Amino acid sequence: MSALGGPKQTVGVQPPTGMGLVVSIVLIVVALALAFYLVQMAGVLAVIGIIIGGVLIAFGVHFVPVGGAPAAMGQAPGIATGVAMLAAGAGLAGLFGGAWAAPFGLAVALAGGAVGGGLLMAITCTMVNVIYIFGMGIPAASGKVAKDPITGDTFPEYKSQGTEGHGLPFISWVGGVIGGALGGLGGTLIYLELLDIYQAQLPIILNTTVEQIAPVAVSLAGIFAVGMFLVNAVLAAYNITGTIEGPHDPKFKRFPRAVIAAAAASAVTGIFAIALLRLIGGF
Amino acid sequence: MSVKVEVGAGGIPHNQILIYGLVGSLVLIYLTYLNTITGTLYFSFFGGLAAVAALVWGTDTIKHLCSYGLGTGVPSAGMIALGSGVIAALFGATTGIFAPITTIIIAAIIGAVAGLMANNVVRMNIPVMVVSLIELAIVGAMTVLGLAAMACGTFEFLGMITGTTVILGFVVQTYEASLIGGSIVAVIFMLGAIAIQHSFNACLGPGEKQDRTLTLAAECGFLSMITVAIISFAFIGLLPGVVALLVSVIGWFYTYTKYIALSKRDAYAWLDAQPILEPKGGA
Repeated sequence: MSALGGPKQTVGVQPPTGMGLVVSIVLIVVALALAFYLVQMAGVLAVIGIIIGGVLIAFGVHFVPVGGAPAAMGQAPGIATGVAMLAAGAGLAGLFGGAWAAPFGLAVALAGGAVGGGLLMAITCTMVNVIYIFGMGIPAASGKVAKDPITGDTFPEYKSQGTEGHGLPFISWVGGVIGGALGGLGGTLIYLELLDIYQAQLPIILNTTVEQIAPVAVSLAGIFAVGMFLVNAVLAAYNITGTIEGPHDPKFKRFPRAVIAAAAASAVTGIFAIALLRLIGGF
Repeated sequence: MSVKVEVGAGGIPHNQILIYGLVGSLVLIYLTYLNTITGTLYFSFFGGLAAVAALVWGTDTIKHLCSYGLGTGVPSAGMIALGSGVIAALFGATTGIFAPITTIIIAAIIGAVAGLMANNVVRMNIPVMVVSLIELAIVGAMTVLGLAAMACGTFEFLGMITGTTVILGFVVQTYEASLIGGSIVAVIFMLGAIAIQHSFNACLGPGEKQDRTLTLAAECGFLSMITVAIISFAFIGLLPGVVALLVSVIGWFYTYTKYIALSKRDAYAWLDAQPILEPKGGA
């Protein structure tokens, strides 16, 4: 959904301001230094993992075809809901997949997260086209490009008058699956990094066994991962402003801004998630 | 295709609501500390009331922010509020009696970073962005902390991760049957997120009135409180749970009746309809 009177962002790509870049770099460096001070090398690695996860989420969100309210009325291609909701759906599905696979090691868990997120987007994108084609009787056509970059299908002759296109062309479907996979991968990476730290530190702080504290570690890592996921997804949504068709959309080129913003935001939220350990039992 | 976000003029100034919301939620959440002082659990419901105060304030902030046209859906503001809020709330909870104050400070830091990133890196260029995201992060944090305090009777981290369970007649302390160990915090997260993002989204458009929107926010808050009151039976026992449930239901019923009355008032004013006058003494 876009609003009248809002900032004009469609013309050109405004690069980040100098101050914005400096603040981002300073925040990331400070977060890494604090992590080293608090939990030594494990903390630095965790914060780096969290930053990579946040960047993957923000980048992945740009692949997801979002149609918003216009898509619900068949006036724009994409899935008929907002960026944050779609990202949350894909990312949380991925997170659940990854969390389930966590005991099988990092590689399997990350793959599980990516497959979970990708699968959710694949099912959603397919169902969108089923509803468009069999329910509303309109073929999938993009309004941003004349030809599908993958299949070579042409769009203008299928695009209804007065619309920005409709349905989900194949390139948008592929974009959605890639976006879901990247989101799930990023969310799972954040979860696993936090889980490692909590499982290593909480038993020492609270003087318990790893098994006893496992529910707390899992739940804390999970809720922090969800929180960071939403912060990054919304920053990416602000970058997209409204609708995007997928990787072929001109708005896709804006992704570097969201990547920088997500890196800084993840570093700051990540350091609080880790610093929490130093305070438990201290008060 | 764009949807115009119209915000009704007039009503209580935003800064006044900010002060009421901030001070109100802080005082109300500290009232749950009466539990620790008196050694009972009857004062848990004050946490829920703190969440309601924060939600009313947050809804007005969303209204204030979205009047500039975000270019993305209203719910995304609610998602970033709770996403950054849950991190601040759980971090703040580890500081014992200072929890609510620490939570506010940490939430303000995370909100400021998100706001700076949104304005200077993503280039939203919205004048109130930084202030609004700080406010929203505090609202999200106070909502989570308030509802969590209502569910388990304390806003302290150790109280949130420890619970009791009965095994063969013996009361045993366990981490699994606790607010965080049982992942109840995820439920609280979503209850807060839905409450904060719904009200303005439902009321925006022509004829939006501040009192109606804010009444709906309070109603959503009490609705979340009802669910948390039911959850709290598991942690704070039967009688305090009944007290919390009664407060929630009475609050919900009052705000719901008021909201319906305000909706009728505004629908009548907007439709320019005339009431059908019954002839005196019957037809």
